[in-house]
This record gives sequence, structure tokens and C-alpha cells, in this order.
Amino acid sequence: MRRVVLLFAVLFAVTFLGFAAMNLLGDPLVNVVGVLAELDCEGIEAGTAEDTTVDAASRDCDTVAAAKAQYHLDRPVPIRYVLWLGDMATGDFGTSFQNDQPVSHVIREKLPETLILLTMAQIVSLGVAIPWGVIAAYRANRAFDRGSTVASFGLLSVPNFALGVVLLYLLALRWQIFPSAYESDNFGGLVFSMVLPAVTLGLPLAASYQRLLRTDLITTLQEDFVHMARAKGLPPMRIMFRHALRPSMFSVVTVFGVSTGALIGGSLVVEQIFGIPGIGREIVTAVVRDDFPVVLAIVMLVATTFVVLNFLVDLLYSWLDPRVRAR
Amino acid sequence: MMAEQDATGAPLLSVRDLHVRFPTERGTVNAVNGVSFDLHEGKTLAIVGESGSGKSVTAKTLMNLLPRTAQVSGEVTYDGQDVQALAEAGTKHFFGVQMTMVFQDPMTSLNPVKKVGEQIAETLRYHLGRSRIEALEEAEELLDVVGMPEPARRLKQYPHELSGGLRQRVVIAMALACQPRLLIADEPTTAVDVTVQKHLLDLLDRLRRDRGMSMILITHDLGVAHGRADDVAVMYAGRLVEVADARTLFFDMRHPYTEALLRSIPRIDDPVHHRLDPIPGRPPELINPPDACAFAPRCIYAQGDCLGGVPELSGLVGLHRFACLHPTGTERGMAAMAANRAAGVTAAGLPVAGGHGGSG
Amino acid sequence: MSAEDLVTGEGQATGRPRTPVEGKASRERLLWRFRIVRLVRPGRVPDDSPAGDESAVRRRLGFSFWLAVVWLLIMAFVAAFAPLLPVADPTKVAFGGPREPPSLDAWFGTDALGRDVFSRTLHGARISLAVGGFAIVFGMVVGGGLGILGGYFRGRLDQAVGFVFFVLLSFPALVLAILITATLERSMLVVSLTIGILAVAPVGLLARASTLVFAEREFVSAARVLGAKPGRIIVRELLPNVVIPMGALTLLGMAVAVVAEGSLAFLGLSVAGEDAISWGKMIVDGAGLRDLQNATHVTMFPVAVMFVTVLSLNFAGDRIRQYFDVKELAF
Repeated sequence: MRRVVLLFAVLFAVTFLGFAAMNLLGDPLVNVVGVLAELDCEGIEAGTAEDTTVDAASRDCDTVAAAKAQYHLDRPVPIRYVLWLGDMATGDFGTSFQNDQPVSHVIREKLPETLILLTMAQIVSLGVAIPWGVIAAYRANRAFDRGSTVASFGLLSVPNFALGVVLLYLLALRWQIFPSAYESDNFGGLVFSMVLPAVTLGLPLAASYQRLLRTDLITTLQEDFVHMARAKGLPPMRIMFRHALRPSMFSVVTVFGVSTGALIGGSLVVEQIFGIPGIGREIVTAVVRDDFPVVLAIVMLVATTFVVLNFLVDLLYSWLDPRVRAR
Repeated sequence: MMAEQDATGAPLLSVRDLHVRFPTERGTVNAVNGVSFDLHEGKTLAIVGESGSGKSVTAKTLMNLLPRTAQVSGEVTYDGQDVQALAEAGTKHFFGVQMTMVFQDPMTSLNPVKKVGEQIAETLRYHLGRSRIEALEEAEELLDVVGMPEPARRLKQYPHELSGGLRQRVVIAMALACQPRLLIADEPTTAVDVTVQKHLLDLLDRLRRDRGMSMILITHDLGVAHGRADDVAVMYAGRLVEVADARTLFFDMRHPYTEALLRSIPRIDDPVHHRLDPIPGRPPELINPPDACAFAPRCIYAQGDCLGGVPELSGLVGLHRFACLHPTGTERGMAAMAANRAAGVTAAGLPVAGGHGGSG
Repeated sequence: MSAEDLVTGEGQATGRPRTPVEGKASRERLLWRFRIVRLVRPGRVPDDSPAGDESAVRRRLGFSFWLAVVWLLIMAFVAAFAPLLPVADPTKVAFGGPREPPSLDAWFGTDALGRDVFSRTLHGARISLAVGGFAIVFGMVVGGGLGILGGYFRGRLDQAVGFVFFVLLSFPALVLAILITATLERSMLVVSLTIGILAVAPVGLLARASTLVFAEREFVSAARVLGAKPGRIIVRELLPNVVIPMGALTLLGMAVAVVAEGSLAFLGLSVAGEDAISWGKMIVDGAGLRDLQNATHVTMFPVAVMFVTVLSLNFAGDRIRQYFDVKELAF
């Protein structure tokens, strides 16, 4: 219950932070009405200022007033925030400044690509890391383990964008195994074209999962219940997977929750490299163009995902270790 | 009760000249140094010693549970087969079926994330090919056998929902699942409440008798061995220092360490406020041990020759064996004690009071 | 040697090295609350097995550590004195023809505008390292300060600090960064501060965790009993102890910061201006499909240099972490 309260508190704080940043660091009015924002409408009304634009002042001032009303720009920031929250709660995500599309429409269009990408990235990283970590721990300090320590160091040191560019060059351009650009003709093609981006995102993560899993597994393998399992005569790999793996997954699961933030950050870059029309690319465009309803909606979405996911991770703990339930 | 007399057939388990070393940063730990013993079908051997004496390492060696870094030499044969070779060949259905082990701490020796029933059933399913349902039914019977109240309900519980005593019953049930011929119990009652200890020990003893199992009972407490073991082996600093049938060991011991261990146990017939005699000093270093009797620095019988080399374990396997140059209860021992009393100090520098027994 | 010696000796032998029980408990609690910092995993080292695998390497740094340090020193030197080095003007368009392969004149070839890639790569170290260095220092001062205060005073303050950290962590880092850099003027200071803000929460959690551990140690209690003021305890007793693990992680943090700057630059949101050369920017410049195909060197040289630099930071950082026996962090 306390966690639910925390969840909402964090969401409020995150969105308010984003909201304040967008509003205080730039004038949103400029982005809606362009140069008209410079107009001193009150002055014109009072006759103390002159209209410098081409159009009739009254119409321009109407436009500005309408824009202000639509985006609540005439209110102070905290009130705007509350109004915006109210809109969000009723499912009204606002309208993009950029192309007058409803934000919900934009998100609905871009979200599936990013979700597929992130899911595939996690599948890649867990699929690589679990066998890798298990073998490294089983043969701890042997040649394979030492080699994989070096390899994971290397992987952890490649920035996402560099890895993406290298993979793109080698696997798509040079050897032409994977397509170099996003394909959306059919689902299979889509998934296939997402393999490289997913590997780009997932491989460094696999390296950190592997290191965590290896360390925890080595600790678990010294536990009495593993000795007990060996005394029961069970074969080593069965002990690894049936007995040792689950109690050793805590760090991996923790990082699974935390890493989603990093993956979303990485998707900004990776979607750029591979030309995927997803949320990551959308938010970069929106930020650059000060399209703040879109930015805010995406920030809200991402933060919610992050917080909810970490909430789910907590539930996963109790599956991993029934003793947690008792607490 | 002459245990060595009725040892007619070939022993079930035979250990010869077992050495175990662990290389560490600070040097090589000589955990077990030349241990040899036999265990006959249906008998109980108690291995007694302080922590660090190598008794647990011996047990783990038998079960092939040592970390890879351990260097093991010597020969362990089970029913005529070389256990090391069996382990290296990856023989299925040997450990857990023929011989199995119960660990010291039931808090840690059960997998915390699996239900009790599954953990027992797992052995049955893997070794005996039972179906899940059959295995769970058998697990319930096993829990009943080890005196677990409400076995059906316990099957679905997690280890942390059980008390220490109940958990150890689960461990025992797990060990018994495949009807092993040899059970190694490594301090099975050390970690449970005193009130439960006797119940568990009696349970183990009863099960052993009912099922005709052999048992190696590892303990630091001679009192635990009393009345339950056919033979007792006392270990000190990785060596056997005295091996005998239980009666001989308790009433006609030869090694001063055995004597000291017995003196440190409280007895029911001791007068109130009777002072126990603790063993002075601390257990010896196992890294670079000196070429001397390891017990000499703590021994009130110690003479010059005790410091001049490690005394050999006398006699043949199966007979009363002891490793002491001045055995207690012999003339040499009496003479040594008298000399030390007179000098007020042993050859190893341990002060000895003139009066009876140890001083405060 | 007297009998007393022997008897107390026995006591010593049975009493294992004492672990601060309270410290361990609070570390556990912390693990559950934040689940970010892994200081100590409560695991048992069995009596009969040799010590853990990390201790063997802990007390020596090794040849490859110094190799990494040498590379980092070279990079630092290059970053500091790039304008004085005898290399081509990195901004000079048409230094050679466009996209020329590596040659004796232009060791790393030239880019699409004919600029010297070698010179640009050297100059690129300036922004990457300066931003990375400043960011981690900012993170340590602000995050470390907040973490120590929260960990020492506990209570409300601690909850507030913890909440701030949690919010910062919930905000996808790169999104926060582009939000700031897109709206503000993208000067060196703004970019450094932005990445510095990202470093606050992870560093702060570590500082808080170490503070919790040390605040319950005997020497702190002793200082408190002797009537030392909190400020004095924090500065004289806690800070030196907390700075060690934090300092040991500086290089690791810097690696993260360098990568973050690269990502921003890759998105075109790092330090603005023609003469603001950054590895990330160079990589994106040559990352078009046609450039990748025909002028691989434009991207691959900065990729390689950046990779080796980040690898050196990570490697040297990890060795230092092991040397000071700070447990692994999971960012």
C-alpha cells in the first residue's frame, strides 16, 4: 500500500518536473503561435502599442487568446499543471503543436514499435545472459569465465550508438545478413528488421546481467542447500537450473527494473540509427521542436512504465523468494 | 560390545590414508591428514572433534562435496567400489541412493524457494523415476516416518514456515527417500534447540536400526556419541587421535585429548556448581603445522618427545588405536603427569597446578 | 606465556572477526528500499573453502591497469593541449578531398567536408573528457552531500533525499538530458551540469549507503558520546570514510558520463557550435548508410578511440574499486 502511494508521488514529481522544465526553460506560446507571441495584445487593446504584423491585430490577438485558452497558457504554471493532469486523467493527452494531431494518436502510432524493440532487447539480453552467467559460474575462474569477464567489460564499454553503428556496418552493410532499415510490410519482416536494434540495446545489458548473475550464483553455490542437492545425487546442471538459479536472480531482476530506463534512453539513439519510427525518435523530434504536449505525454508514459515495472519487480521478489512474502 | 570382534565380512565403507589440502593465499591448509577407518554394514561410527578438526571435511570428502580447489589423496571404497572413480565417472544414482548426507544447519540446507514436498519428491523422481503424484505421496509417508505432525499440510509449506527441528526432520526425510545404505549425519543437532536434539538423535538411531542403515555421526559432543555409536573416532587437527569401540573409548580411553573432551562434558551426577574442565588453549593452526603432536601445547601430559614428531596412530584398523606417546591410563602416562606436576609446567610450557585436574 | 593468555586465546579463536550487526541490518533494509546499491550480499563463506575469488586480485593493480592509465593520461594530455599539437585545424573544411581514406597526410582520412579526422578525434577528447569529468565532480559534490546528510540525520530529511533520488532515477536519464539541453543554450556548462544532475542519484545512493554503515561504527558513536557536533562528525569522521568508496568509483562514473555526452552529441544535443567537436557528433556525422558503406573510417576511428577510452575508464575504475574493496554497483 505504501508503495502505491510512493508510486503516485513519484509520478506527480516526475511529470511536474518535466512540466516545469518545459514551461520555464522555454515559452510554449512561441511554439503555438510563432512570432505572434511577441504581440503586446493588452497594449494594442489599450491603444498603447502598435500591431507590427501583417494581419489585422484583432485577428492575431484572437488567435493568441484562443491558443492561450486551449493550452491554459494564461494561467500560472502550477495551475496549468493541475489542469493538464485533469486532462490526462480524462484521457485527453492534448494536441501536438507540430501537426495538430491528438497526442494520443501520435503515441498509439509510435508505441508498438518501441514496445517490440524493448521486449526484444530484454529477450536478447536475458536469453544471452542466463546461459552465459550459469556457465561462467559453473566454471568459475576457469578459462571460459576469465574470457567472459573480459568480453563483458568490452560490451559494457561500448556506447549504444557506437555499437549500433558498428553492427549496422558489419551485419547489414558488409555481410548483409540483416536489413539496414526498418521494415513494416509484415510482422515477420518487422521483427527481423528489429533484430539488430534489439541486439544493440540488449548486448551491453546482457553483459551486466551476466556479471551480476555470475557473482550471485557463485555465492549461492556455496550455500548448504546446494551441497544438500549434490548429496541427493542430482546432476550439476539440474542443480544449477532447478536449485541455484532462482535464488540468484535478485540482482538481475532488480536491474531488469532499473534497466528499463536505460533501455528507453538507448532507444532514442537506436531508433535514430536504424530509422525506427518509434517513441524514442518521436520524443527527440518533439523536444527539439518544443512540442511540449507530446514530450510531456511521453515523459508521463515512460515514467509510469518505469515506476509500474519496478512495482512489478517487487512482486517478482516474492516469487523468487517466498520468505519475502512473510515480511 | 566388542565391536571389532563381530566385524566379520568386508566393510561397507573403507577409508585409507585420506589427505585433504586446501591451497589458500596464506598457505596450504592441511585439513585432513592420513585418516583411515572402516565402517561395517548396520553400524554407527561417531567422529568426534572440535570445529576445525577436519571431521566435516572428511564427511564432505566422502560425499565428493569439496570445492574444486581441494587436493584429495587416499582411497575411499564403498562396497568394494572406488568412490572417487564413481564420482568422476558421473555415475548416476549413487550419491543420494547408496549414501547420502544430513547437514548441520537445517536453516540453510533446505532450498528456501521450493516447497518442502517438492524437495523431497525431487529425489524420488530423479532417482527412482516416480511420477509427480507418486513422489508426493511417498514424500508424505516419509514425513510421517520422521515424526512430522500433519505431513500432508507440510508438503505445501516453504522451509521458512517450519521450525528448526521440523526442518531437520524434512532434511532427514529427504535423505531417507531412496533408502540409502549409508547416512552421514554432520552435526545433525547442533543448530537446533536443545530440547529437540534428543528427539532427533533418537529418531536417527531408530531409523538406522529399522532400516539396517549404517551411519557416520559427526559431532563435537562426545555425549551425543554415547549410547548411539558402535565405534568412536576422535579427530584432532586433521588426524585421528583415538579410535575404538564405544565402550572402550568411554571407559578405557588412552589419548589425553579424549580424556579432556570427556571432562568438559557436564554430567547429570556432577554435584551442583561443579566446575567443568575446559581444555586450555586453542585448536592448532592447520597451515604449516609443526612437526609435533598437535595437542601437545594443550596437553597436561606433554613431554619433550611429544614435541619431536607427530605420534603415529598405533595398531590396525578395527582395533583400539591411539596416537600418543604417554597415553593416559598407562604407566608412561602416569609418569608424565607426575613429572609435569612436579615441574608445575609441561614440556610445551602449559602451567600445571599441583592439585587434581586442571586449575582455574 | 601465562595460563590467562591461553584461556583468552581460546576466546579469540572462537570469536570470528566481528561484523557490525546493526550495520548489516540497515544495509539489508536499504537493499530492500532502493535495491540499487549492492554493498554487501549477506553470504556465508564456508569455513573449509578458500576465500572468495575477488580477494586474490584485490591487492595488486596489474599490468593492464597501468596500460589503461597510460591511455587515459595520453587522452588527458591530448585534451588539454589539443590546440597546441602539430595537427591540422580540425574545423578547416577541405583540408583534403571529401571522404579520403587514411593516408600519411591525414592519418585517419578525411570526412564528408574534407576535414582531418585524426585532428578532429584528438580535439574531440576535449569536450568528452571535460564534460565527463565535470559531471562526475558535480554528481559527487551534490549527490554525495545529500547522501551523507540523509544517511547521517535519517528521519524526514532522509526520506526527502531518498524521494528526490528516486524521482531522478525514475526519470529516464537521456530524456531528462535532452529536455534540458534542447531548451537551454547548449554551452559547455549546461551540458556538463545536465549530465552532472544525472550522476546525482546513483552517487548519492552510494554515499548514503556508506554513511549508514559508518554512522553506526564505534568511532562515530564515540565521537558522538564525546559531544562532537554533527557537522564535525560528518566532516571529520564520516567524510573521509565515505569519500573512499565514492572516489574509487570516480572513473566508473566518468565512463558513464562520457557515454552520456556521446549520446547527447549523437542526437545533436551536446555542446553547440562548429568548433565544438565531440566524438558522438563525429560518429553520427559518418553514420549515414552511404558514408558507412564508402567511408567507414570517418565513423570507425572515433568509435575506436571512444571505445578504448571508455574501456580504460571502466577497467581502471573496476581495478580501483576492487583495490579499495568497494562492492559492485548496479546503475
